[in-house]
Amino acid sequence: MKPSSLFIPFSLILLLLVSFVPPAAAFCGFFVSQADTSLFNQASEVIIARDHHRTILTIANDYQGEVQDFALVVPVPVAITEDQVQVGDPKILQRLDEFTAPRLVEYFDSDPCTPQTGASFGFSTQGGIGIINFGDGKNAAPLDNAALLGVTIEDRFSIGEYDILLLSAKESEGLETWLRQNNYQLPEGASKVLHPYIRQDFKFFVAKINLAEFEQSEFQALRPLQIAYESPRFSLPIRLGMLNAQGAQDLIVYALTPTGRVELTNYRTVPIPSDVNIPEFVEDEFGAFYQALFQTSYETENKEVAFLEYAWDMSWCDPCAANPLTPEELRQAGVFWLPSPQARAESQPNAATQSPSALPPFPVTPLPSSASPVVNLSSPVQQNPTPVHITRLHVRYARDKFPEDLRFQTTGNRENYQGRYVIQRPYREAPTCDVSDYRASVRDRQSQELETLAQLTGWDKKQLHRKVDWLEDVPLVKPQGDDWWRDLFSTE
Amino acid sequence: MFKDARDAQIAFLGMFLVLGISTRDWTIQPGLMAAIAASCLLTQWLAQVVIPKLQGQVIKLWQLPPSWKSALITALGLCLLLRGNHYWSMALAGVVAIASKFLLRVGNKHFFNPANFGIIVALTLTPDAWVSPGQWGTQAWYLLLFLGAGGLVLKWVGRWETSAAFLCTYAGLEAVRYAWLGWTADVYLHKLMSGSLLLFALFMVTDPRSIPNARQARVVWAVLVAWLTFLLQEEFFLTTGMFWALFVLAPLTPVLDRIWSAPQFQFTASKESTPLTT
Repeated sequence: MKPSSLFIPFSLILLLLVSFVPPAAAFCGFFVSQADTSLFNQASEVIIARDHHRTILTIANDYQGEVQDFALVVPVPVAITEDQVQVGDPKILQRLDEFTAPRLVEYFDSDPCTPQTGASFGFSTQGGIGIINFGDGKNAAPLDNAALLGVTIEDRFSIGEYDILLLSAKESEGLETWLRQNNYQLPEGASKVLHPYIRQDFKFFVAKINLAEFEQSEFQALRPLQIAYESPRFSLPIRLGMLNAQGAQDLIVYALTPTGRVELTNYRTVPIPSDVNIPEFVEDEFGAFYQALFQTSYETENKEVAFLEYAWDMSWCDPCAANPLTPEELRQAGVFWLPSPQARAESQPNAATQSPSALPPFPVTPLPSSASPVVNLSSPVQQNPTPVHITRLHVRYARDKFPEDLRFQTTGNRENYQGRYVIQRPYREAPTCDVSDYRASVRDRQSQELETLAQLTGWDKKQLHRKVDWLEDVPLVKPQGDDWWRDLFSTE
Repeated sequence: MFKDARDAQIAFLGMFLVLGISTRDWTIQPGLMAAIAASCLLTQWLAQVVIPKLQGQVIKLWQLPPSWKSALITALGLCLLLRGNHYWSMALAGVVAIASKFLLRVGNKHFFNPANFGIIVALTLTPDAWVSPGQWGTQAWYLLLFLGAGGLVLKWVGRWETSAAFLCTYAGLEAVRYAWLGWTADVYLHKLMSGSLLLFALFMVTDPRSIPNARQARVVWAVLVAWLTFLLQEEFFLTTGMFWALFVLAPLTPVLDRIWSAPQFQFTASKESTPLTT
């Protein structure tokens, strides 16, 4: 068959693939498994959307205790007003998490007896990361004697279920005393850590729960807080949060920029091991696998680096762990440089007649790639790329290895990166030809996958050995009957 | 072991590059490094072979330019420090780095550190170039390696006081700042234990061909570079502060050379005028 004559049937097959994939995985293929959504206990999540000096910081909140005990203290580099604070949608963190989470990809060997058959694929994700609050305290009492202690209440207001105070202070002891007097349960040694921030003229953003509002609201959990500010400082204060921490804490940073990847400037940023083939059984324990892999990498790197888990242009993905975020969702995540729906509608008069939700988020077009056309066919590509690059950083920090706050920089690096783990399924159907060579090569591959797994996770190889579904040699299945055409047709 | 200090410098910078690529997960690709090396060496060849030949000098067109070692050192320095996505960004840095040696001169001396000049031009004029101050981390054995290698080269070229003045001033200013802020000593030490800072202090600020000739002038100059680095980093939050400080203060070199005169540095006793440049 000539290459040109292959084109029409092949195109039809691709078209069918595009037409019949279920909507949830429209861009992405097939879910193999969905891992637990709370793999890392005590993990905080923040979104930082930043362009030049402008920042929208979203602090996620999955505080598990009594809401009246909740308090959050965040040093912010500049004064902010009520207008610059809002309550965000918790779903947006979940969306970002799902979109950027390390993923398991599945490929299938083709029948070794009919090698021209194309391979198919699938993938899965491991999801969610838990969060904790930065501070801890009791519902605050009325405010007084602030001036005596050198504490200035710059602003106070309520947003949704939160009561917000913006404090500035002259002395750390005064601030600590004032917070204690107002029933904020500060850990020991707080003033020593507050001191450097006061000296650098930081303000303190203090949030607690307005119980009446919270009880009236429809929300079961606390929603994230979003703060907009403009400052040349690009850093996250982690020292306050370490005061009352037991051991290491996990922090997931979703950094959104118009230019490229975000990295740390005062710690190394190390890509998490990726693109490795692992045994098939990992599908059932992908969450545990990734946790072990992360722990091993963390220890190998002497517990003093930040890990890059994902870096990608937000207009597409390959494979997609979740649908890409719509422009509206990106705006909810703080991407302020994207035009509003009204502005978009005005600039595109033809689109104005349709409601934004009725529009598909991104037009789907095939992406040319030599590596894996089927995977790429199902990946969405935006024709006018969204100027948003996402970086997912995972930092496990403890006081001894992370003495300084995290400082970041935006780079022009637009290279894509993802934590991606591959399962290659052997062809297990009854063979119709001699497959001993194929099966031997698969067993070699399985040994190699086992080796890789043990190395990445530190798991015991002997125990893993038992879990592998080794591909054994099987007798050749003779064709039934007088298939006089088989010899002729199998020469393709 | 080495004929001149440039051989040692090429060996050490090459070793750092191999170490960085093999152990530090750098994102630099072989093609981008090749673009840097080719642009540096071709520009050097153009300036030292092609143009003189066009001007009528008797010189073979296909010969190595006399200062190819300097160009290679510049290329290695750029490979170690500069990152980008596109070939042309890297090539631009290489071309302007070398061209600056021939075009921006006072008397018989260039005053910009070529690699630093290339970095600043790439950072300013291209959308994709960046430098990664955190790329070496803070592991002690790297720092010791840099100190050892840098110490050897500096002893050879006699510029150790420049590094010392830079490091002492910078460390002193940071010490005052961190004490005033009330951070504990480990925060301060973490700040100082940066591989990038040490490489800059040992291999870039000490380029004997572009920095002042007299010892007093070099000390004054290094103190100024350290002070401006500190200011740009801590007050203006510029992560590339040290490169900008060196760039801004480079034109002071001819002024300081005028105030304190001393013979210009030569690598060898020969007539060859070849700058050691990172």
